[in-house]
Amino acid sequence: MPENRSIPPRVWLFAAIALATAVVVVIGPALFDRFTLNVLTRSMIYAMLAVTVDILWGYTGILTFGQAAFFGTGAYASAMVLSHLGSTPALLALALALAVIVPVLLGGFVGWLSFGHGSTPLYATVISLVVPIVVTQLVFSGGVWTGSSSGLVGYSGLPLGLPGYFRLTGICLIVTTVVALVFTRSDAGKLLVAIRDNEARCAYLGLNPQRLKIVLTALLAGVAGIAGFLYANASGVVAPENTGFVFGTEIVLWTALGGRGTIIGPVMGAIGIDYLSAQLSGDLPFLWNLVVGTLFVVMIILLPNGLAQLARMALPRRNGEQANAAGSPAITVAPAGNGSTGDNRVLSVSGLGKSFGSLQVLQGIDLDVRPGELVSLVGPNGAGKTTLMRCLSDGTEATTGSVSIAGQNIDGMTPDEIVTLGVGRKFQVASVFDSLTVADCLRMARASRQAPSLLRRSATLGLPAAAADILRSTGLDRMLGQPVSLLSHGQKQSLELAMVVALEPKLILLDEPTAGLTKVERTTIGGTLQKLTGELGFAAILVEHDLDFVRDISTRIVVLHQGKLVLDGSVAEVVNSETVRTIYSGAAHA
Amino acid sequence: MLETREARTTLPKLSLSNVSSGYGPVAVIEALSLSIAPGQIFALMGKNGMGKTTVLKTILGFVALRSGDISLDGASMSGVSQASLIASGVGYAPQEQALFQDLSVRDNLRLALRSDRGFAQAVERVYGHFPFLRERLSQRAGTLSGGEQKMLILGRALMLQPKLLLIDEISEGLQPSVVERIATALKEERRANGTTILIVEQNLPFALGVADNWAVLKLGRIDDAGDVTEGTASRVLQHLKI
Amino acid sequence: MTLLLDMVTTAAILFIVAAGLLAIFGVLKIINFAHGAWLTIGAYCAVATAGLGLNPWAALPIAFAVGAILGGITELVIVRPLYRRPLDAILATWGLGIVIGQLITLWFGRDVQFTSNLLSGTVDVFGVGYSLYRLFAVAAALVIGLAFTFLLEGTRLGLSAQAVIMNEVLARALGVDTARVRLATFIVGTGLAALAGVLLTPLTSVDPNMGVAWLIGSFMLVMVAGSSFSTLAIACIVFGGAQVLVSTFVSPILGGITVAVLCALVLRISPKGFARA
Repeated sequence: MPENRSIPPRVWLFAAIALATAVVVVIGPALFDRFTLNVLTRSMIYAMLAVTVDILWGYTGILTFGQAAFFGTGAYASAMVLSHLGSTPALLALALALAVIVPVLLGGFVGWLSFGHGSTPLYATVISLVVPIVVTQLVFSGGVWTGSSSGLVGYSGLPLGLPGYFRLTGICLIVTTVVALVFTRSDAGKLLVAIRDNEARCAYLGLNPQRLKIVLTALLAGVAGIAGFLYANASGVVAPENTGFVFGTEIVLWTALGGRGTIIGPVMGAIGIDYLSAQLSGDLPFLWNLVVGTLFVVMIILLPNGLAQLARMALPRRNGEQANAAGSPAITVAPAGNGSTGDNRVLSVSGLGKSFGSLQVLQGIDLDVRPGELVSLVGPNGAGKTTLMRCLSDGTEATTGSVSIAGQNIDGMTPDEIVTLGVGRKFQVASVFDSLTVADCLRMARASRQAPSLLRRSATLGLPAAAADILRSTGLDRMLGQPVSLLSHGQKQSLELAMVVALEPKLILLDEPTAGLTKVERTTIGGTLQKLTGELGFAAILVEHDLDFVRDISTRIVVLHQGKLVLDGSVAEVVNSETVRTIYSGAAHA
Repeated sequence: MLETREARTTLPKLSLSNVSSGYGPVAVIEALSLSIAPGQIFALMGKNGMGKTTVLKTILGFVALRSGDISLDGASMSGVSQASLIASGVGYAPQEQALFQDLSVRDNLRLALRSDRGFAQAVERVYGHFPFLRERLSQRAGTLSGGEQKMLILGRALMLQPKLLLIDEISEGLQPSVVERIATALKEERRANGTTILIVEQNLPFALGVADNWAVLKLGRIDDAGDVTEGTASRVLQHLKI
Repeated sequence: MTLLLDMVTTAAILFIVAAGLLAIFGVLKIINFAHGAWLTIGAYCAVATAGLGLNPWAALPIAFAVGAILGGITELVIVRPLYRRPLDAILATWGLGIVIGQLITLWFGRDVQFTSNLLSGTVDVFGVGYSLYRLFAVAAALVIGLAFTFLLEGTRLGLSAQAVIMNEVLARALGVDTARVRLATFIVGTGLAALAGVLLTPLTSVDPNMGVAWLIGSFMLVMVAGSSFSTLAIACIVFGGAQVLVSTFVSPILGGITVAVLCALVLRISPKGFARA
C-alpha cells in the first residue's frame, strides 16, 4: 500500500489565492481612497461572520440568525472596556479577551438551549432569532453603560489608523478563511456534514452530535466576538443595530447569495454585497435593496446553493476516475479492541414492556442472546419487532422491565452511550451519509474510538478485519473515494453493515437488512452475517420479513405476536410450529 | 403475466404492465403485470413486506412509478393527480391511519365527497351496508370500536359509488362476524353496481370467500396466480407458510 | 383595574396580529416570514384609504382584499416550490419582506405616516377611564377567533384544511385537492395579516419597517400554539399578560422581549409547546 502524500493541485491553487489576497491586503491602502478603505474594512469584518454562518448553516445544517448577537456582544464588550476604563495596552488586551470569552459563554448557553435531546432544526433557528432580540433589548436598557439607543462612540481603540485597520482586518479574514477551509476539508470537518446528513446515524455510531453542535456554536460565537472587537476598534462606534436580528438575517443573506457550504462563496458574497451597497446606496438608496431582496428570493427558489453553484457549473468538473484515485485512502487493519466478557450473555432482557399511552405495544419480553448466535425476530406487521429493536438500542424507550448489555443495565442511557457498551444498529433503510464518500462514512464509524484530524485528510483508513472483509467481499474496497450518493441501494446496505461492524460491537441489531435487495445481494449479506456470528463470535438480532432468508441463516428464531413473545426456539421447532402457521395465515383471529 | 378469461375478451378495468416502483433507492415492486376485468373481485395475497400495499400505493400515485404503465379503462394513468383519479371513480380503503380519529363520523364521510350536495344520498347508500353508522354520525371516529372503524373506512370508500375499489387488509384483527359483514358488503356492492374490487389480504378464508381471481406476491413479483377454485386455499397456503 | 384591562387588550392585539401567521403555519407547516410585511401592507392600505378621503373603516375590507390577492400570487410563485424546504421558505419569505418594504418605501417614502383614528376617546369601565379603541381590539379579536372557528368547523374549506392538518396523505387519498387548500389558506392568512395591519394603525406609528417589530412575537406565539386557535388564544393571554406585568413592574424595554423569551423557554421544556395539552 503506497503512502500517497502528494499535495493535490487544489491546495496549491488555494494557497496561491490566499497569497495573492494577502498581497492585495498589504498594498491595498496605496490603491484605494479613504471611503473605499473604510467600506472594505467593514465588509471584510462582515465576511468573517459570513464564514461562521456558513460553517453552521452550509456545513452543519443549522440555519442561524444568532451570529449577529455574538458579534454585537463582542463589539459591546470591547467598546465598554475602552469607553469606561480606557485604552492602555493592558486594557486593550482585556477588551479582546472579553470580546472572546463573553460570546463563547453566551454561545455555549445558546447551544445548550438549542440542541437538547430531541429538539428540531426549526427550534434552533427559533432560538437564534430570540437571542439577538434579547441582546438588543439589553443594550437598550443598559443606560450609560451601553449608551442605550445612541450606542457608544468617542472611545479610542488600537492605535492603527485606517490603513492599519484595513491590513489587520484583511489578515484576520484570510486567516479565518484558510482555517475554515482547512477544517471543513479535514477528517473532523466531515463530521459536520455527517451531522447535517444524518444526526441519528451519528448518535448510533457512538458520537454525541448534540455536544458537538454546542461546542461548535460556542467556538464560532468566539470568532464572531473577535470580529466584533475588530469592528468596535475600526469603526469607533457601536450601536444597537450591530446586535440585532435584522443584521443576523443580512449575514445569512450574504451567505446564501455567495453560496452556502463553500466558505469562499459567503466571503465573496459578504464583501461584494456590502461594498456595492455602500457604493450604490448613495445613488439608488431603495432600489439597491430592492434588487438585493429580489435576487435573494429568486436565488433561494431557483439556485439554493448560491452564486458558487453557477461558478462550479462553469468550471470544468474533475472526472470520477481522478477523484477516486486522489481521494481514496488505503485500508489498514486496526487491532481488535475488545476481549470476551466474563458474563457469557451479550444481551439479557427481562420483563420488557413498552406502551404508548394506553396502547401496550410490548409486554413481558424475556430474551437472552449469547456470542455467536444469530437470532431472527419474526412476526406479523405491528407485532412490535421494530419497537423491541428500539428498546434495545435506546435506554429511554422501554416503559417497564430491564435490558442489560454485557451485564450492564441500559436504563436511561442514550443511543451513543449504548454504542460504547458494544451495540451496533443497522437500520431498515440504509442509514449512511449521502454527502460523504465511502471512506469518510467508515471513518465516522471509527471517530468515537479515534479522534479525527482537525487539519488533514488521512491517507489511510484503519478498520477492524471484519469490516475490511465486508468491503472486500462486496467490492466496496475499490470504491472508497466514491460519494455515497452514487452507490446502489444494495451497496449502501453493505456499507452501513460495514460501518456498524467497524464499531466493533458485541451485538449487532439489524432491521430488515435485505429489504429491496436482489437475490445475489441477499446471499452476500446472509453469508456475511453467518460469518460474523459463526466464525467471529459477534451476536446478532435480525428483524426480517423474508422467512426463507431467516430459515437459511438463523441459529434461533423468536416469534413476536401482538407485543408478546410467543415462541423462542431452533429453526426446525419454529418452522414446524402450528402457532406460527395460524399467525401467518390470518386464522389466529378466528 | 396474469390473464383471465374475462380480461381477454373485454377491456380490463385496471391493468398494470411491467410495473416497477419503490421508495427512494429501494425497489419494492419489480416488473409486475396484472389485469382485472370489470366487475371482478381480485385478491392479491402474500406475506408481510412483500409489496402488497405498495402495489395499491403505486396505483394511486403515492409511490412513484419507475417503469411500466398502469391504465384504467385502457387509458394510461401517468400524470393523473390523485384528486382527479378519485373523482373518476376510484375508492380507496387504506390499512393504516385510515381515519381522521378526531373528526366525527359525519366529517369522515363528508371528506369522501367534494361538496356536501350529494351527501344525503351517498350516505344512504352506505347505511344500506352498515346501518349502525346512522346513529353514530356525530360520534368521534376514534371512539368507534376496531370493527366499526373498519366498516366506516369501507363505507367512506363506497360514498362515491366507485367503479374501482382498492382495499388494503381490511380484515386485519377483526372478529369473524365483522369480516363476514364486510364480505357481504363487497359482494353486494359488486352485484348492485358491477364494481371492480382489488383486495390486498392475508386472511385466506375471507379473501378466497369473496374473490374470483387471486395472485400471490413475493418480493415484489407475482409468484403464483389463478382463478379461485376448490384447491386454491391449500395452494395459496403453501406460499404463505413459513 | 387598568392593569387587568391592559393584560386583556394586549393579549387581544397579539392574537389579532398572530392569527394570520397561525393559519398558514397550521395548514402549510411553513413559516411566512413576510408576515411583518403584510402587516405593513395593511397599515399602508389604511394610509391610502385616508389619502383617498374614504371612510377609515373602508380600509378593513380593502386591506383584506389587497393582502389576499398578493398572498395568492406569493403562494403560487414563491411558497409552492419550497414546501419541501421549510428553512429555505423562511429565507425566501424574509427576502420577500425586504422587497415589499422597499417597494412601500419607494411609493410612500420612508417617513412615519399618520392615519385617522378608527375610534377615539375613552370609556368608563368600572370607574376607570380606558381607551375605547383597545377595548374594541378585544371585540375584534373575538370576532376573528369566532370567524376562524366557523371557517374551520362550519365550511367545506375548513373541513379540508383540518384534514390536511391532521393527515395530509389520507386527505389526498380521499381526493382532497391539497394544493387548492394550501392556496386558499395562504390567501386567508395573508388577507388576515393585512387586516391586522389596519387594526394596528391607531396603536403604533406607520412606517415601512413597522411589521418587523411584530413579526418575532407572533412567530414565537405561533410556535408555541402549534396549529390550534384555542391554544393561540391561551398563549396570547398567558404571554401577553406576562408582557404587561414585566413592562409595568420591571422595565418596558424588557417587557418587549418577554413574549419571545418565555416562548423559547416553553419550547425548550416541551418541544410541542401548548399543542400537546
